[in-house]
Amino acid sequence: MTSHTYTVQRSTLSSRIALTLGAAVLVALVAMPWWATSGNIRWAIELSCYLAIAQMWNLLAGYAGLVSVGQQAFIGLTGYTLFVLAQNFGVNPFLAVPLALVAPALLAVPTYLLLRRLDGPYFSIGTWVVAEAVRLTTTNIDYVNAGAGLTLRVMTNYSQHEREVAFVILCALLLLTTIGGSYLILRSKVGLALTAMRDNPVAAASQGVNVGRMRFLIFVAAAVGTGFAGAIYYMAQLRITPAAGFDPFWASMSIFIIMVGGIGSIEGAIIGALIYFFADRLFGEYGSAYLIVLGLLTLVIALYARGGVWGLIQKLGDHPWFPVRRILIKVEK
Amino acid sequence: MQWLDAVIQGVLLGGMYAQYALGMALMFGVMRIVNIAHGDVMILLSLIAVSLAGVLPGGNLMLVIAIVPIAVLIGWALQKFVLNRVVGVDPLPSLIATFGLSIALQNLMLEVWSADTRSLPNSGIASASFQIGPIYVGLLPVIVLCTAIALTAGLDAVLRFTRFGRGLRAASADTDAAAMTGVNPRRIYATATAIAVGILGLAGIFAALRATVSPADGPAQLIYAFEAVIIGGMGSIWGAFLGAMVLGVAQAVGLRIDPGLGILFGHLVFLAVLATRPVGIMARKR
Repeated sequence: MTSHTYTVQRSTLSSRIALTLGAAVLVALVAMPWWATSGNIRWAIELSCYLAIAQMWNLLAGYAGLVSVGQQAFIGLTGYTLFVLAQNFGVNPFLAVPLALVAPALLAVPTYLLLRRLDGPYFSIGTWVVAEAVRLTTTNIDYVNAGAGLTLRVMTNYSQHEREVAFVILCALLLLTTIGGSYLILRSKVGLALTAMRDNPVAAASQGVNVGRMRFLIFVAAAVGTGFAGAIYYMAQLRITPAAGFDPFWASMSIFIIMVGGIGSIEGAIIGALIYFFADRLFGEYGSAYLIVLGLLTLVIALYARGGVWGLIQKLGDHPWFPVRRILIKVEK
Repeated sequence: MQWLDAVIQGVLLGGMYAQYALGMALMFGVMRIVNIAHGDVMILLSLIAVSLAGVLPGGNLMLVIAIVPIAVLIGWALQKFVLNRVVGVDPLPSLIATFGLSIALQNLMLEVWSADTRSLPNSGIASASFQIGPIYVGLLPVIVLCTAIALTAGLDAVLRFTRFGRGLRAASADTDAAAMTGVNPRRIYATATAIAVGILGLAGIFAALRATVSPADGPAQLIYAFEAVIIGGMGSIWGAFLGAMVLGVAQAVGLRIDPGLGILFGHLVFLAVLATRPVGIMARKR
């Protein structure tokens, strides 16, 4: 009589390779001021922000079923809070980044409580209205220079090298919290609930998942993560205006990245962000023709290939970079 | 008197918004779909009208006769090639698909018509006005409002009394049960979208007569239509009309307080309605 036990396998060879690569990328990122040009560091900052914003949208739309087209509200708000703290209150700008994260959380709570009353697609446009309301309010406040926007003059107190070191550290923290944080959440018990909600919210609720509470928490967490990226992005730009900070294009960008990369997976967010980033570098000069192609691509993917590029890759073979599944393995004794 | 004037101008502005909102209320009521490209399609029809006005003889009436069939055709194509594939319980595909379409349309219009603002040639109606007591009222806004009332009443009557209306109400209550009793949901959907976009054709002409249009104006019109529908109460045709009036008045009053506050006031009234009466002013009884 053979007895056997079971073990739960949670990582695969591909995931161990991916994690090692991920750690290497983070180390390389933090070391950038010592080996890369300023131009490359600016690119790295941009890419990190795109990736973080897109992954936060992925959590919302891909797992919680909350398709927001108003995340720019949190980007602009956090950017503005950072500028006011650093410029008007004299807080060290790099310390002001974490402090500014209170603002998106404070906006996200009433926003969610109001908008949860709206049905699916109406929720989306509701988030857009909130973003527009925040943008118009900012445009009418003279304290933040109304429509003209703010400039972060205090940055001149730091040498370029100091700034670059601070930026790469902030970017590494951003990626750790948004990508790493998402991965940890998805691997936890909460992740099981989220995956269940992604597949079928009604069935998830019947299995004891408090869908309303989960959605609320994800909405607030995504707002903070998005705001974090927004603060870094506009600190690197040194300038923020209502038109840029609350630009609906932030929502478009998140949707392109996640739909092209593959919704409902971290791998998809990374692939999509890389594709968008390089497409933007290569074809951005074509302006509206490039955007027509991006728009049509999103339309076609929504109609015919909902899994995006990651969905296609998975058809070739199951090699997850960030596995969140639990595989039960029987061990013979 | 200044406030009375603001309210009257607001109601007239609401007539414009009602024309945007009717189609959205109809489509959401039937298919549970919100077409993110709603405003962009309206702007597209406006721009086509502006271009046609240069070559078409016969003035604005001819323009209506030319544009409305084009609009119905666009609605039919939208339904056949996009919306039919994404109708379903999950709102994500329809949102993403129409969102992509919206971005593509906006930039396509930018390529074809450039970013300039355009309007239809002034044929006298746009500047004509008459006086009621101490208040001046423009003739064109009154025509827009009357058209909106006629469209709302007509659409309401169609939904109440025709075979199509019964089928539509049945399909919106339960698509499968309606299909079993001999209603063809796809045909109902196609007709609803054709009507919705057809109304947008009329709205597009009025928008280009009343003010200017440019390729980037679509999203704002989508938001106004949406706010009107929610303020009025989802699923109610007269609700959408009333919501448009409330939105128009809120914007006009805000504009009188400070020129920068007009649109913001509309958003705030929308959020206030959502906070206090989430089902809307005229929610359909269930």
